Amino acid sequence: MDFTLSDEQLAIQQVSRDFAENVIKPRAFAMDASGEFPLDIIQQMGALGLLGLPIPEQYGGAGADFLAYCVALEEIARGDASVAITMEAHTSLGATPFLLFGTDEQKKTYLEPLASGQKLWAFGLTEPQAGSDSGGTQTHAELADGEWVINGSKMFITNAGTSMTAGVTVTAVTGVKSNGRKEITNLIVPTGAEGYVIGPPLKKMGWKASDTRPLSFDNCKVPQENVLGSVGGGFKQFMQTLDAGRVAIAALCVGLAQACLDESLKYSHERSQFGKPLHDFQLIQAKLADMATEIELSRLMYYKAAWLHMQGRDFTKEASMAKLFASETSKRAADQAVQIHGGYGFMDDYPVSRYFRNVKVNEIGEGTSEVQRILIAKQLLQSLR
Amino acid sequence: MKIVVCMKETPSTEVKKELGTDMRLVRNPQDAIINPFDEYTIEEGLRLQEKHGGEVVILTMSPAQTTDNIRKAMAMGADRAVVVADPSLAGSDALATGRVLAAALQKIGFDIVLFGQGTADSNGGVVPSITAEYLQLPLLSLATKLTIDGETAVIERSAEVGYVKVEAKLPLVVSVSKSINQPRYPSMKGIMSAKKKPLETLTLADLGLAANQAGSAAAHDKVLAAESVSTQRKREIFVGNDGAAQRIFDFLSDNKII
Repeated sequence: MDFTLSDEQLAIQQVSRDFAENVIKPRAFAMDASGEFPLDIIQQMGALGLLGLPIPEQYGGAGADFLAYCVALEEIARGDASVAITMEAHTSLGATPFLLFGTDEQKKTYLEPLASGQKLWAFGLTEPQAGSDSGGTQTHAELADGEWVINGSKMFITNAGTSMTAGVTVTAVTGVKSNGRKEITNLIVPTGAEGYVIGPPLKKMGWKASDTRPLSFDNCKVPQENVLGSVGGGFKQFMQTLDAGRVAIAALCVGLAQACLDESLKYSHERSQFGKPLHDFQLIQAKLADMATEIELSRLMYYKAAWLHMQGRDFTKEASMAKLFASETSKRAADQAVQIHGGYGFMDDYPVSRYFRNVKVNEIGEGTSEVQRILIAKQLLQSLR
Repeated sequence: MKIVVCMKETPSTEVKKELGTDMRLVRNPQDAIINPFDEYTIEEGLRLQEKHGGEVVILTMSPAQTTDNIRKAMAMGADRAVVVADPSLAGSDALATGRVLAAALQKIGFDIVLFGQGTADSNGGVVPSITAEYLQLPLLSLATKLTIDGETAVIERSAEVGYVKVEAKLPLVVSVSKSINQPRYPSMKGIMSAKKKPLETLTLADLGLAANQAGSAAAHDKVLAAESVSTQRKREIFVGNDGAAQRIFDFLSDNKII
């Protein structure tokens, strides 16, 4: 078993770390305070190739592997959560489905500008009444005169409304299957399509500078060929998309947890009480040791899930485990980081108070912790049948 | 235009430097980075290429045969690299370094040779001029701005007041100051393609040089002693509240801080 990253993975990790440290981190406080989408940072990341890491070069990407993408995402998250989720939602949910399911024509039209980082793309699955219950999708589309007519609404959609967003992939009910279940199809909706209304940015507890919006489709019309893959293939497509997305979210969580540990180490060295630095107290040492141990475990879990994925092996269970454990690790790490900082940790001036707000959603987005446990249990119980 | 960028690997600025018993810097290949000044040089080479076309060649000499930093320079965008790698290079002084680089430059061919303003390890800052002397070519040093118009290179160099503007004909040697640009990050595509770019290794024999023309065998200077500099902060503690504000004011104004 070899845990050594390749030269390319190491170089990508190093550039991502430097970029996060020098460009992103100094802006994190202001981005959180204003909630403004950091267009210039995202554009710089696009130019560097950070928005198309796992996409092959022939489609405008960097041609790096999936683990390199995850390792880069961990480093970006260490700098700032909003920037990291923008990168993750764009790459895993926006661009990758075009690579996996798109026609050559769609790859050329849509994927290339996304992989080369000129444009962003969103993925619209969640609805006001359909979160964990994605089968409860109500948005529907009918074919009429060679066009799909879409009606319904979507909720909490990342990257849908930035000035560099080119569009959204929308899951919609397009009929009823022979088994009585809903037929779900993914439809490509470019920004500016007739009847596509992008709502105002939502106000959030954390991830404040990421773009999160409600969307509505009011007789929205797109051409018939704007089906991603096949009609009725939507459910399978997003399940597959979310599997890999979970590994990326796990990496993002590791970056956030690592940032909590970085700050805690620094502060416990600077701060003295009872005549000695905090880190000389064993109760503080225990916190630091637990944080570091859980971070290392979470990192190993996402490395393994990414490795399985790159080997073309089944990784559904490991993806859920990595996402579940890493998201809960990041929450515990932020909690303990604030605790180590004491009263200062509760103040906005210290980054850990921001980290505390940023980690909660990790247990919710791209499958709640409850859903992850259901998915893991399902895999376990399969062997009994 | 053929642009050759001379690059050196130096110990990481984050690692404590140590001298061996031979009074030479202990170099650990894992801790080697691109000499920080050379990142500006590589950037300037790439900008010249963007403007005038041609190729950017990285030239480095190294007693060890490590390639990580050369790959990093190629990830930034350089087209290929030439490494003079020979065990006999260890302990080269500035004169020998200039001799070897000049021989390699003549072999590679060039329109312009770029150097950094110095190196983070020895920081003698004389290799650009020695190399230019060996090549019998003009040197425009410490450029804060570099433009090429036809066959003429024009640089600006900071002076005590304002700047001086100097020009010379190609081919020539230019050393660049770190205020000349802001080096780019290696791009992801650059990283992925760096291993595919050509890297040529030359020995002293390939350059027509004998082992005793480089390395410690050819060194004219010898380090006899070295000690690390420790800086002591000036500190004064005022005790008691009596006239404290006035005493702090006097202290600050005596030290010309206010």
